Amino acid sequence: MKTSLFRPFAAALLLATPMFFASCSDDSDPEPEDDNEFITTIRYKLTPTSGTGQAVTAEWKDLDGAGGAAPTITGLALAPNTSYTGTISFLDETKTPADDITEEVREENYEHLVIYTPNPATGLMNITRTDKDKNNLEVGLTTNVQTGTTNSGNLTIQLRHQPGTKNGTAAPGSDDANVTFPVTLR
Amino acid sequence: MLFRFVAVLLMAGLCLGFVHTSTAQNGCNLPLAGRITDHESRQGLAGATVIVQPGQQATQTDADGNFHFHVCPGTYQLEVRFIGYATERAEVRMNSAAVRNFQLHPDAVTLRGATVRGERVQAPLPQASGSLTGQALQQTRGQALGEALEKLPGVAAIQTGPSIFKPMIHGLHSNRVAIMNNGVRQEGQQWGQEHGPEIDPFIASDLTVVKGAASVRYGTDAVGGVVLVQPKALRDSAGIGADVNLVGMSNNGLGAVSAAVDGNLRRLPSLSWRLQGTLKQAGNTRTPDYRLDNTGFREHNFSAAVGWRKDTYGLEAFYSQFNSRLGILSSAIVGNRADLEAAIARGRPAIDPDFTYQINRPYQQLQHDLAKLTGFVKTGNGGRLTATVANQRDYRDEYDVIRSSSDAGRRNLPQLSYQNYTTTADVVWEHPTLGNFRGSVGLSGTYQFNRYAGGTRQFIPFYTNRTAGAFVIERWQHERLLLEAGLRLDHRDLRTRRLTRGFATDSSSYYGVERNRFQFWTPSASVGAVYDANVHLTLRADAALVQRAPAANERYSQGVHGGIYEEGYDISRPAGTPPLQPETSYNLGVTATLHDNPRLNGELTVYQNIIDGYIYQVIGEPITTIQGSFLPWRFQQTDAVFRGVDATLDYQLAANWLLNGKAAVIRARNRTLNDYLIYVPADRFELSVRRDWAGQKAARANQFFALVRGTAVRRQTRVPGAEYDPQPAPDGYGLLGAEVGATLRLGSTPVEVSLAGSNLLNERYRDYLNRFRYFADDMGRNVTLRVHLPLNFSPN
Repeated sequence: MKTSLFRPFAAALLLATPMFFASCSDDSDPEPEDDNEFITTIRYKLTPTSGTGQAVTAEWKDLDGAGGAAPTITGLALAPNTSYTGTISFLDETKTPADDITEEVREENYEHLVIYTPNPATGLMNITRTDKDKNNLEVGLTTNVQTGTTNSGNLTIQLRHQPGTKNGTAAPGSDDANVTFPVTLR
Repeated sequence: MLFRFVAVLLMAGLCLGFVHTSTAQNGCNLPLAGRITDHESRQGLAGATVIVQPGQQATQTDADGNFHFHVCPGTYQLEVRFIGYATERAEVRMNSAAVRNFQLHPDAVTLRGATVRGERVQAPLPQASGSLTGQALQQTRGQALGEALEKLPGVAAIQTGPSIFKPMIHGLHSNRVAIMNNGVRQEGQQWGQEHGPEIDPFIASDLTVVKGAASVRYGTDAVGGVVLVQPKALRDSAGIGADVNLVGMSNNGLGAVSAAVDGNLRRLPSLSWRLQGTLKQAGNTRTPDYRLDNTGFREHNFSAAVGWRKDTYGLEAFYSQFNSRLGILSSAIVGNRADLEAAIARGRPAIDPDFTYQINRPYQQLQHDLAKLTGFVKTGNGGRLTATVANQRDYRDEYDVIRSSSDAGRRNLPQLSYQNYTTTADVVWEHPTLGNFRGSVGLSGTYQFNRYAGGTRQFIPFYTNRTAGAFVIERWQHERLLLEAGLRLDHRDLRTRRLTRGFATDSSSYYGVERNRFQFWTPSASVGAVYDANVHLTLRADAALVQRAPAANERYSQGVHGGIYEEGYDISRPAGTPPLQPETSYNLGVTATLHDNPRLNGELTVYQNIIDGYIYQVIGEPITTIQGSFLPWRFQQTDAVFRGVDATLDYQLAANWLLNGKAAVIRARNRTLNDYLIYVPADRFELSVRRDWAGQKAARANQFFALVRGTAVRRQTRVPGAEYDPQPAPDGYGLLGAEVGATLRLGSTPVEVSLAGSNLLNERYRDYLNRFRYFADDMGRNVTLRVHLPLNFSPN
């Protein structure tokens, strides 16, 4: 009779013991993250259709994502008063082989818009989008570029993700990418 | 065994009686008061007989069911009798003023010979505290836990859209507020401001908030206060009962049904059980001008408890599971700084959708399991040994907007997926009363590990956290004065494993694992006093010192989370400087309470909390990413001070007319920068008038009430420099609310029905503590219908 009094408590204490002898099922190491949706690299390739300029590719690359090491940026050196055709590509180079995000954007081009903003707005370059989605709205994966005569400036490229809200303007959605390249004309 | 127990009781009674005869002459004015209510309807019972033994004092309860005695120190048997109800008895040990409430069961139960045990009297706390029970709790049914607690002055909530509320006590939250869910410290991803507590509020029959440091008892996380979520005690009388709650809301189409069934076997009176479950669903919330896209949420929760209880020992097993999917306002997930600025400039969300219950990305998917086993054994003369061991699993998946043709989109994978496993064990011994001393000693341990799922982002690294603590609290009680002192020592051993990425010269990446270990001993101490100046005035004071060792997120969080780039201190601390150190808080609080007065009652709390090495998030220099420029929220340490006043006042204007006022004012300073702190609640005032009509007891409908409430929130003008907040604080606002209710008799069942309206004038407003104030207005007009059915299936 006397011992039965303490039995439930003894059971509770016994159950508490694993805690003090916590065997480690917890010594695994983190595995490399497989961050879907990661864009590490943006390439904008311009091929001249007139004049004597060379094909050039601008590249913006940040392999370790937000924070960490600084990005590497290769700007555009273009010929003045020249026409180019442009193609843009978005890559995830943390994967081997690199993951081509451009394909995903093309598949869902009715939710995406690429915006090209030269600075200064006039005199540096004039960019027009040449591709359209199923709703007859521009996409911007392919472009025509006409350079001007200004010596230098910047080009900002934004990939807008606008699920369900795309209306041809920049406002809806949010930036999946937003990078700025230096541009020189000579 | 029974004989032994009775003998011990008798001995205790005799000894106490003997000891106290000598002091009886000068100490016989200890107030012993309480209220007698109907167990089902919670209605006060007028004219019930209350007898105190020994001494044969007897009285009858007043119109509201209140009774009042003055007695000498000692141990007494209280007996409550009322025709039509089972007689109840309870033992009360009187060292200071005591309040004993009784809920009487209708006679049908007594005919079967129910046994009723008195619940133990909780020692009064030296800290200020507030509770929601009974009708006050009923008036919050359907709301999130953090939203319900906002009813208590001094308790606010950090809000993320219309569905996520994080309780904030005296300006502190997250890692500084402990939430005790049925006696177990809630452990999961509680660090996140947009991570609401994973608790079904329908489980609670009592929500109590301790406002002030209670770290000695509840661990270092209780530096700001404690939220106690208490389910109803397991049924102690034979029969089966049920409790059904139904809630509907007009604004977001919320529908909730929650039911609990509990039982006690007549043939096995020691065994009690309870099953409980909740289903809840809501669609898009509506502001005065537009709907909020993708703000629906749904929940399904259940719990089960079984208890075995004898007079000298008891054992209880409890299991609960919480499941929730919470839609996040789509226009609040902005990418970079330019998108944030554009959203602020737009002034309203880009989309005004139709009403729907559908939840798309972005959303949070949560699951929390708790399994608990607890047992106690009485060790004689008021002593009691309690042991609790609990296991918690917390899964939190966060789904961002992604391209549906990507790999993750096709497989619908989350971007963030945390898994947290926690085992806690606690042993507390309340030692037998020694003269005027009562007290407890305890040990507690936590073993926790945290992971993220493969294929998702590392926002919080892998970590393992072991804490061990020991405490002692002693109370000395003599006549009207209670003194309390406590000491605690904790050890935290935090080991982290963080994935790092490096690059070879050919720009191929390689991975490494960075291991770190942080060990700290942190002491806590507290002293407090409770003084019953007279029968109607209680004064409390407490002072506490608490050290809290930093958590993993404060050290090593990194990445974009809910559209915000966050970074732990140890990620970017300057080379050669020491890692994040524990913070030390010095807490002071004084409370005066006027109670049990016929007309004027109220409470006033004044507090100050100085925190050296306060760990907080602050906006740093913008960083450049491929997604554009981000404002990083970095963890830093500073010296801070929080000061404030909470007040509540009840005034009986006339019979059945009650005026209630509440106020909460807080000032928080960054002492290092000599500036204000961000996200501190704005001054808040509330005034309500309530009219009650008791009605005929036998009528089909009675217990009518109606109330009108005005809430005024001032603009927060005490904000840090403009560079620390993307947008200035929103304007102040005033809201009008009203509620009517009644109890309807359906057969023998008293059904409580109420209709409550909030923001009746459909005012446009934004609250400073709502993290989505940058993007959208708060909720517009909302009408809530609540039905509560207490059922009793006791056999006759």
